[in-house]
Amino acid sequence: MKFGNLVIAGLVTGSIYAVFAVCVAVWYRVSNILNLAVGDFAMVGALGVDNLYRVKGLPLWAAIVTTLAVVGVFSYLYDQVVLRIALDGRRQMEGIVVTFFFTFALSFFIDGVAKMLFGTDVHAAPALWNGASLSWGSLHLERAGLLVLVCAVIIGGAFWVYIRYTLGGKAMEASGENAIGARIAGIDTRRYRRLIFVGTAVIAAIFGIVESPITGYTYLSGATISLTGFLAAAYGGFRKPGRALVAGLAIGVLEALLGGYVSAEYGDTVLYAILAALVLAWPRGLGFESAVTQ
Amino acid sequence: MTAASAEEGDGRGRVALAVSGLSVSYGNVVAVHDATFQVAEGDACAITGPNGNGKSSILMGITGMVRRRGAVEIFGAPAPNGDVRWAARKGLTLVPERRQLYPDLSATDNIILGCYSWTRSMGKARRSDSFGRAVDLFPELKPHLKQAAGTLSGGQQQMVAIARGLAADPKILAVDEPCLGLAETVARRVYDVLARIHDSGTTLIVVEEAPKRALTLCNRRVEVRNGVASGVAGAA
Repeated sequence: MKFGNLVIAGLVTGSIYAVFAVCVAVWYRVSNILNLAVGDFAMVGALGVDNLYRVKGLPLWAAIVTTLAVVGVFSYLYDQVVLRIALDGRRQMEGIVVTFFFTFALSFFIDGVAKMLFGTDVHAAPALWNGASLSWGSLHLERAGLLVLVCAVIIGGAFWVYIRYTLGGKAMEASGENAIGARIAGIDTRRYRRLIFVGTAVIAAIFGIVESPITGYTYLSGATISLTGFLAAAYGGFRKPGRALVAGLAIGVLEALLGGYVSAEYGDTVLYAILAALVLAWPRGLGFESAVTQ
Repeated sequence: MTAASAEEGDGRGRVALAVSGLSVSYGNVVAVHDATFQVAEGDACAITGPNGNGKSSILMGITGMVRRRGAVEIFGAPAPNGDVRWAARKGLTLVPERRQLYPDLSATDNIILGCYSWTRSMGKARRSDSFGRAVDLFPELKPHLKQAAGTLSGGQQQMVAIARGLAADPKILAVDEPCLGLAETVARRVYDVLARIHDSGTTLIVVEEAPKRALTLCNRRVEVRNGVASGVAGAA
């Protein structure tokens, strides 16, 4: 049952990619900015809880609540200060600076602070659900992996319901589609930008806490997570959270299968070669053309 | 702001919209200078004048889409500067130039977002009279309601934009260049609909470059030249 176990492992990894891809895509949908710092919030979640619990000796629940509160407040302030000056001020900035620069700089900033606070070693938040891995015959799934899957389904589902079935979700979409048109309808576009930015930062932090027992984090892990989420989001044209979710899962499974059957060492190289080839062969189907023209 | 304003509006009803000393500028460029006029409830008022003379800026300033100087009252209540939502709640809704739809959202979603000014509930919006009426007014949109708005024809998009405006349940509907780039037959259809909206009791303000078409519908006219507005009463 090597295949089955590889698929399960791939789904767990893929659901991580998927969640970050959805976070990137949803915020891009509302703000037209790519959040390259989303993985860093996950890193802060994992290492923050570890630090408060293991080093500072706080109870686990207090460590989690404190970490999430810090992430929430920090992302709120970042929006209120930096993004507000850049986007809402008298001299509004446009183009590639806005699309990439601010969140890219934020990512470096968070990494630097994390290095000072948490050091350079690999750490992880304590496992939330201890015990032997779950087994059905020859199939195995670690408890932390199941937790990651459940979280991914809840988060993905919540976003789907929000966008598809609520007026607020539609207003959020409208904000990114046409800011002037949104204001005409009385929609406060800045509020949605802030709401989703803070929301995805906290979601990323939660995910970091749940997922870190599987992989372990260093202060540099955020960039890798952001990049994979970014890649999966690109397969949804950055604008389609549903597609980003599927792409994230597919990349995870593909990665696990390549690692298992082709080469553990060169699996990633082959994976990225396949992904690049897919884009060249089928740009429209993957949403790449619209990503460029929009 | 003037006390005599009620008499000026045809004597037909209370003043729906009172604008006094309205100025709008973009940086150093003054688009509207010191515009003063009133629109009575039930009026259909045309704002006419050549392109680039500040007609649209008047509507943008009144609805709060851009910052303005001067006073705007909607049914007697002074409008806060730059608050579109407040204006929409008081009953003034804008159907903007070039429509400003959400191209990737369906026509239905575009229209239902008009309800956002008075509710946050999808269920309430869907069941509301204003949404139902807005959709019913355009039977030709029925087969296209699930289509992305960006893929509709210009005329259909204009109808979606008007329907979105109606979903906000306006007492005053301000329509900016509704026929820009439309074929003559479609333009006539748009004006038919505007006439029906007016007949149902909604106060209309229509910005038009071509006064001829606007004056088939409107009983009042404000002429704008070089950013200066002058009221021409009883132009029907």
